[in-house]
Amino acid sequence: MRTWFGRTGFYVLVAVIILYSLFPFYWVFKSSMESSVALNQPTTGMLPVQWTFVHYEAIFAVENFLRPLLNSMLVAGLTTIVSVILGSMAAYGLARMPIKGKALILGFVLLVSFFPQIAMVGPLYLVFRHLHWLNTYQSLVIPYLILALPITTWILTAFFGQIPVDIEEAAMVDGASIRQTILKVFAPIALPGIFTAAILGFLLSWNDFLFALSFIQSPNMDTVPLALVNFRNAYYVHYGQIYAGVVVASLPIALIVLFLQQRIESGLTAGSVKG
Amino acid sequence: MAAKLATRPRDQLPRSRRGASYLARRRRVGYLLVLPALIALALVAIYPLLYNLVLSSRFDVATEPGTQHFVGMQNYHSLVVDPAFWGDLLHTGIFVVISVTLEFVAGMILALVVNRKFRARGLVRASILIPWAIPTAVSALLWKMFFDIRSGFVDFALSALHLPGAQTVWFNSPVLAWVPIILSDMWKNTPFIALLLLAGLQTIPQEIYESAKIDGASSWQAFWSLTLPLLRPAILVALIFRTLSAMLVFDTIFVMTGGGPGQSTEVIAYYNWYKYMVSLNFGYGAAVAVVITILALLLAGIYVRILRQREGFVT
Amino acid sequence: MVSRTRAKRAGMGILSGAILMGALAGCGSAAQSSGSKTVNLVFATQGLGTEAQATQQAVKEFEKLHPHIHVQIETLSASSNSAYQTLVTDLNSGSATPDVITSDVIWPPTFAAAKWIMPLNQFHPNMSRFYPGMVKAGEYKGKLYAIPWFINVEGVYYRTDLVKSPPKTFTQLVSDAKAAMAKNPKLIGLAFEGNKYEGAVTVFQDVSGGFGGSFLNSKGQPVLNSPQNIRALTWLDNAIKTGLSPKAVTGWEEGNVQQAFLSGDAVFATNWPYLYPLAEQKGSAVINKVGFVPPPTQGGKPTASLGGDDLVINKNTKYPKQAWELVSFLTSAKTMTQRALISGDPPARTDAYTPALLKKAPWFKQEEAVYADATPRPVTPLYPRISARIQEALSATYSGQLTPKQALDQAQKAVQAIVSGHGS
Repeated sequence: MRTWFGRTGFYVLVAVIILYSLFPFYWVFKSSMESSVALNQPTTGMLPVQWTFVHYEAIFAVENFLRPLLNSMLVAGLTTIVSVILGSMAAYGLARMPIKGKALILGFVLLVSFFPQIAMVGPLYLVFRHLHWLNTYQSLVIPYLILALPITTWILTAFFGQIPVDIEEAAMVDGASIRQTILKVFAPIALPGIFTAAILGFLLSWNDFLFALSFIQSPNMDTVPLALVNFRNAYYVHYGQIYAGVVVASLPIALIVLFLQQRIESGLTAGSVKG
Repeated sequence: MAAKLATRPRDQLPRSRRGASYLARRRRVGYLLVLPALIALALVAIYPLLYNLVLSSRFDVATEPGTQHFVGMQNYHSLVVDPAFWGDLLHTGIFVVISVTLEFVAGMILALVVNRKFRARGLVRASILIPWAIPTAVSALLWKMFFDIRSGFVDFALSALHLPGAQTVWFNSPVLAWVPIILSDMWKNTPFIALLLLAGLQTIPQEIYESAKIDGASSWQAFWSLTLPLLRPAILVALIFRTLSAMLVFDTIFVMTGGGPGQSTEVIAYYNWYKYMVSLNFGYGAAVAVVITILALLLAGIYVRILRQREGFVT
Repeated sequence: MVSRTRAKRAGMGILSGAILMGALAGCGSAAQSSGSKTVNLVFATQGLGTEAQATQQAVKEFEKLHPHIHVQIETLSASSNSAYQTLVTDLNSGSATPDVITSDVIWPPTFAAAKWIMPLNQFHPNMSRFYPGMVKAGEYKGKLYAIPWFINVEGVYYRTDLVKSPPKTFTQLVSDAKAAMAKNPKLIGLAFEGNKYEGAVTVFQDVSGGFGGSFLNSKGQPVLNSPQNIRALTWLDNAIKTGLSPKAVTGWEEGNVQQAFLSGDAVFATNWPYLYPLAEQKGSAVINKVGFVPPPTQGGKPTASLGGDDLVINKNTKYPKQAWELVSFLTSAKTMTQRALISGDPPARTDAYTPALLKKAPWFKQEEAVYADATPRPVTPLYPRISARIQEALSATYSGQLTPKQALDQAQKAVQAIVSGHGS
């Protein structure tokens, strides 16, 4: 009896967890299918009063939501590429090369991830203004390095440290240069780790709101979160379109998570310096 | 994982065969490899900090061009005497304590649940990770509408079940406005804590529990006297990471309340952003940024001390 | 001629695959003619949808008339705060572009005080046909810096089928609303903008003026906690407390008020002229049941908060003459009439209300009566900061944290500090 009770309790808990995680998505989906009129009336049920796709049509036909999607992908993608390249190089140096002050370097990288993003906004704004870089892609890619580069470096250092050194050693015994060893022997083995770091770097850049809010000035440069918050004209906030936009913006993220869940989990735990 | 770096001197393996010059070359290459990342981080992170330090001693307001001048500590003085700053600091403190506590408890429960083997485990793990991956601003939008008085679920559910609290305008109450804010923050961040704790849980060998059971300990006792102490490092890491990011909460506040009603949900990051980017008072904004940076670095210092105490960390 | 800023902004290839960039950079600088004598003006403006359409059409016609001037439209964010920030950034950097700027009616003093925009007296504009309140809002220290583009005033909408005649006093408004609500308890007595943002300030200005209050006195000193203002804020606060307005108005902006009124749920609503055509359109539940009047009075004078947009010229523009040509074309009666027809933006000059326009959009006749009571918000470079304090006071009152008097006392203190140069 007691175990039955315990097991039921356990599954109730599991159900609560899944509901808390996923039900808000259902609600936003339901609202995105509701007409504007219904959205302004008290809610009457768990299903839309009348199913409609107008908000989805509007975000692509009227608001050109494709543009922020592309902007976000481009900016997050570029940040990821730069972070992974710089991060892999640094990680290889830290994990494999006999350099001094490793703890110091890793400590510094970690320290940077502790720097408050909000404190960077002002100075970067002024510097970008001076360079006439506000409202450009680089005004996002560069600050996003603060978000993505520390964690990529940490993850990759941890991953590279786990790869057995024997293979590289054998290659070097065969007379391969450092460069050849890295590119031909090491890189293929390290690829899964690099991929993990890339996913996390991408998600972290994709998630930014503060930098985009501060450095982006015209609607055609909006990233996804910024565009969603700005779905409005001078007077009118388009709630239906916001809901539809949230659904559209969440889908790719949900897919990434579903397919790459284990990589993300291992990367997250490695990146936060698990001993 | 990083620990393994230190346990075996892999980087020195070729030494015996290749001699000192080869070692020096590898070392040089090593520095060259690390350097670009360090330069990039210094430029985007260190430079702004120094910039803030200099700027915070100046009067510099964008809408009053030509009036910039050195003012010494005056910006800091104005900051210290501004009751709004202290109010926002207090809000931030309360938010940190409540949200981190709740997220920690919920994260621990989540981790314990997911650490057990059961049928829907994969589904649970995936479903908690999705909220984590959603941008904070989007999460805030989602929960804002969840609490909307017309189209929101909360009002609908409360009215349908004839519970008190229906027809509440959550965002018009200095206290209740925090409920959606904290729920949104929890939704997004609890999974992160859970993952860290889970990784810690998985390093605890099962045998310990079995011998505790033989000794007649209840599972509750085992949790308090075995799990918690063994998890201590993971718990500290999780708490510090979350404390830091809760201290800097911005997106959620900006999207959900804009600091309102009145100034009751204003936090220090919002205060800083407003002075810098809306009032365009750069000197003052820089002073606020310096103060926030010091607070964050204090936390980082505690974190590093904890890591140092931990066995096996690169030294 | 590609401007310097544009050119630098366009040169963002450093980090990226040029192909992707090229695809996304879209239109923009590359397509512009370079070299020849064509002058390239950058026109920074807000507005999406039909407003953007009206702007594009006007610009096209302007280019036809002036073949040597090319106008590049730069669309700013729809959010007022971020558009302001963008403009301040461009202007503060001393950039020569944008050459011509659409400015919210409350910004010119700030821009003028910072010496970012040029006085327009040198072009000898004829302002006699423009609404005087609007012209005044564009003056700073005796010089004219802004030409009104379209006018906007916040008045009171009412339901002609529920209220016999528009209320003369605020007390009358309450009793009219209560009478209608007694017959149909589902009705909202007064829908107004109560969120923590600029729109709450304009509503408060409407009521404050009606009670005889104001924000600054004639010497520019704040008088926020005057008995009149306290009475005005108490009246608004009571509207919420007594159920005349739903509690939800504390989160409402124009769009929410619009929804409430168009769906037939509200007896009275504070809003801008844009709502009128929408109320007479298909989809509205109140067709032919709409009246729009200046706010009532109770010891003060009818006060309809003035909004709207001006056109201003960047002081560092390389082409002041051409910029003026554009401004004077866009603010001509003919262009304004056309804009009113396309987007519903009310012309800022009386001679633009042609019989043809009034025939197509008869509501402009009612709106004109409200323009007469248009009252600008304080014309001072400090206004954005003053407004932030008033917003806080209103929000703190509506949420019950402070009484109207406490809130206004606090705002008064803060604004005094701002005006005397100590506050932030």
